[in-house]
Amino acid sequence: MSLPLRRVVLVDDHDLFRAGVRAQLGAGVEIVGEADSVADAVQLIKELDPDVVLLDVHLGDGSGDAVIVQVAPERPAVKFLALSVSDAPEDVIAVIRAGARGYVTKAISGAELTDAVHRVADGDAVFSPRLAGFVLDAFRSGEATAADPELDQLTAREREVLQLIARGYRYKEIAARLHLSPRTVESHVSAVLRKLQLSSRHELTRWAAERRLI
Amino acid sequence: MRIPQVERSPRDDAVVAGICAGIAQTVAVDVTFVRLVFALLAFASGAGIVAYLGAWALLPAPDDPEPARRRRRISGTVLLVWSGILALGGLGLSNSIVLPLLVASAGAVLLRRESRTLGVALIVIGIVIFVGHNSRGSATTLLAPGAVGVALIVIAGPWAWRVANERARAEERAEMAARVHDSVLQTLTLIQKDPDNARRLARRQERELRAWLYPARASGTLADAVDAAAAEIEELHGVTVEVVHTGDAPLDERARALVLAAREAMANAAKHSGVEEISVFVEPAAVYVRDRGRGFDPEAVAADRRGLSESIRGRMERVDGTARITSAPGEGTEVELQL
Repeated sequence: MSLPLRRVVLVDDHDLFRAGVRAQLGAGVEIVGEADSVADAVQLIKELDPDVVLLDVHLGDGSGDAVIVQVAPERPAVKFLALSVSDAPEDVIAVIRAGARGYVTKAISGAELTDAVHRVADGDAVFSPRLAGFVLDAFRSGEATAADPELDQLTAREREVLQLIARGYRYKEIAARLHLSPRTVESHVSAVLRKLQLSSRHELTRWAAERRLI
Repeated sequence: MRIPQVERSPRDDAVVAGICAGIAQTVAVDVTFVRLVFALLAFASGAGIVAYLGAWALLPAPDDPEPARRRRRISGTVLLVWSGILALGGLGLSNSIVLPLLVASAGAVLLRRESRTLGVALIVIGIVIFVGHNSRGSATTLLAPGAVGVALIVIAGPWAWRVANERARAEERAEMAARVHDSVLQTLTLIQKDPDNARRLARRQERELRAWLYPARASGTLADAVDAAAAEIEELHGVTVEVVHTGDAPLDERARALVLAAREAMANAAKHSGVEEISVFVEPAAVYVRDRGRGFDPEAVAADRRGLSESIRGRMERVDGTARITSAPGEGTEVELQL
């Protein structure tokens, strides 16, 4: 199966890391531009209108979510994939809530990153095990707010899928294990992403605050 | 605290320059009262008139730009000090106290806002005048050192505060530098000398830095113990163990058995899977250890292989837990441990 060429903008404030990603990205992915700050990134993305932006959570002059917030209204088709070494869940959740379609750690292999770019470009959500752990944590405790219980809780199946992602399973393996189609697994993950972005449950904030304190 | 900015009143309710109206607005009293105060002060050697001129110079019009406001402050302050001297002199207070006091306080005002040199000069002049006027009185011997002390505090206070602040920041930087030196630079040096172990050394360094940068958890819990076990396995076998948690639990007797079983499962994966990455997921009452290595047929494993039967299964069963091993040749292995 041949995939269409994906135009990617790489946003990271470390030259060395950008060079590493450039060398690692595989077939069907072309880096059309690079930026190392929020201001540059916003301008460049608006100008180049890429398929996917690989976005570091921390930049010299701000955080990754600032880029998404400024670009998204004008370029709704651009997909963002957060890429970070950060272990701070609140930072990662902030980027996801701003609209990123997924989060992978920088330890990811070149082949997996290439695959993730294609999946994000196709509109899928990409959860690393770590993000799945964060999300399970965020939705774990407490009651749903009265405002929108639909959005504030994960279904049993969504929880199951996330748990398997956190355990290191890939979508195909999850599908086989749960006797689902890979498409269905994907739609569960996308539903979780949507809940994460739209939920106003105060647990999300409280949870982040607690994590900061511990 | 923020002092409200007094501005001259716009033209429509101004009689001369809108000074009285502006002050009245800011302190919320009737404008007539303010005008009366200025008028009465005019009888104290003309102090009211000078004060009015000073205020005119000092107070900006509502639409004055900032640079213009700055220029006004110096001339305004000087005029107000002069009016203060006139007023207090008119009220019968001795020049020997009033004059130096006013000069020095004008200096203090300028010191904080505009011109450091001019401010210091005025304070010194104030002290000199005071000492000169009172050189014979016994009060002088007590007051003069006090005045010098106050002046020193006013002059040196902000400076000392800034120096202390900078020192705190410098110490922070020094600690950071020390840590980077002790850990990162040492590791980089080691890697250059011993490239064969680069991966292991880099991973150890990463773990240390992460623990320092993101001190996430309380110690002595289940998640903490699994992290420690994973670190040991990485050290021993030169693999990468990626640990993800959701939730945590206290490290009681049963949780301890869970950690030991998980450690054994990680060791098995490191030794037998043939891959260098192991995923571990920790829940409050379960640990999952997964690799994508060569896998094996669980049925075919000799019953006496201690690792699986005793260290993992036996350990879990003794604390009423379960151990389930899912594996097939070529498909990797997952060990599910539950309490």
